Amino acid sequence: MKSLHTSGLLVALLLWCSNVVALEDELTFASKDQEALYRQLTAELRCPKCQNQNIADSHAVVAVDMRKKTYQLVQQGKTHDDVVTYMKQRYGDFVYYQPPLRASTIWLWLLPALLVVGLGVVGWRRARSSQTTGPNAAVTTQQTADAELQALIDAATRGKSRD
Amino acid sequence: MRKWLFFIPLVAFLGLAVFLFSGLFSDPHLHENVKVEQAMPAFALADLENPAKTVTEKDLLGQPYLLNVWGVWCPTCNAELGFLTSLRAQGVKIVGLYYNQPTDSAFGEQFDLPTLQRDVARKLAEQGNPYQLNILDKDRSLIFDLGVTGAPETFVVDAQGKIRYHMVGDINPNNWPQLEAVYQQLVKESHAGVTP
Repeated sequence: MKSLHTSGLLVALLLWCSNVVALEDELTFASKDQEALYRQLTAELRCPKCQNQNIADSHAVVAVDMRKKTYQLVQQGKTHDDVVTYMKQRYGDFVYYQPPLRASTIWLWLLPALLVVGLGVVGWRRARSSQTTGPNAAVTTQQTADAELQALIDAATRGKSRD
Repeated sequence: MRKWLFFIPLVAFLGLAVFLFSGLFSDPHLHENVKVEQAMPAFALADLENPAKTVTEKDLLGQPYLLNVWGVWCPTCNAELGFLTSLRAQGVKIVGLYYNQPTDSAFGEQFDLPTLQRDVARKLAEQGNPYQLNILDKDRSLIFDLGVTGAPETFVVDAQGKIRYHMVGDINPNNWPQLEAVYQQLVKESHAGVTP
C-alpha cells in the first residue's frame, strides 16, 4: 500500500514536471507559418554565451532575451533574413550557424574543393603512370630492347660479313 | 611520381597541428563586439539611484568614459568594484550599466525597485562606488543593443559618443594598462577637440 502511494506520488510529480516544461513554450502565433519560422530561427540562431547551443536549447539570459526578441520580430511580420540581420547587427556573425561568404571565410568552401581536386589529380596521374609502367609496359620495353639488340647484332654481323 | 608529392601529407599534418595548437590558447568565450567603432545606440533609461530621471546617450557626451556592465548578482563584477573605485579616484569617468537579471514569475519573483536600490547601495558601500551614475537596464534593452553576452563587460566610449573599445571580463591591475592607453588617448583627443 505504501509503495503504491509512493509510486502514485512519483507519477503525480512527473506529471507536474511536464507541465512546468510546457509552460515555457506557451507562445501564441497568428499563423502556422509564423510558428514554423520562430521554431526555425531559434534552432538556427546560436547562443553567444554558450558553447555550441542554439538559442532554443539554452537557458542563458542572453538566449532567453534573443528568443523573446525573435518572437517579437516574427509577430511583427519580419522575415527570416530580417531577424538574422537584426541579431547579427548586435551579436555579430557568430550568432548564425551559417557563416557569411567573405575574403576571410572563403577558405571554408575553397579548401575542401581544392582537396577534392588535388586528390583527383593525384589519383588520375597515378592511374595513368601505372598504365605506362604496368605489366604491359614491361612487355613493350622488353620487345623494344630485343629489337634494339637484334639491330646491333645485325649491324655487327653485317660488318663482319663484309670483311 | 614527383618527389615533392611525398611531402604533402607532412605539410598537411604540420598545418593541422599548428591550427589545433593555436586553438589551445584561444578563449571560446571571446567574440569581437560588432559595436566597436560605432556610435552608442540610442536609449532612454532610468537612473538607478534617481529613477525619475531619464538618462539618454546624449547625456553622456563631452567626456570619454568607461561603460561598465555589472550587477550585484555577478561575483566577478563585485570583485572589480574596488579597483574601479581606485580608478575613479584617479579621475576616470565610469558609468554603470546595471544588468538586471530576469525575474521568473513562475517562481513568484517580481522586479522590485526599492529592493534593488537597497542591494546596490549596500554593495557599493561595502566594496566602493566607482560609478558617476548607474543606468538601470531593467529589460536589458540597451544591453541587447550593445551585444552584451554577460557581465562584467566594459566599453570605452569617446567624447563624441562613439564606442572605441570593448572588453569581456573584469578590469584588474594586470589588464588596466592596455585599457588605460585607449582611455588616455581618448582624453587627449577630447582635449584637442579632434573629431575622428
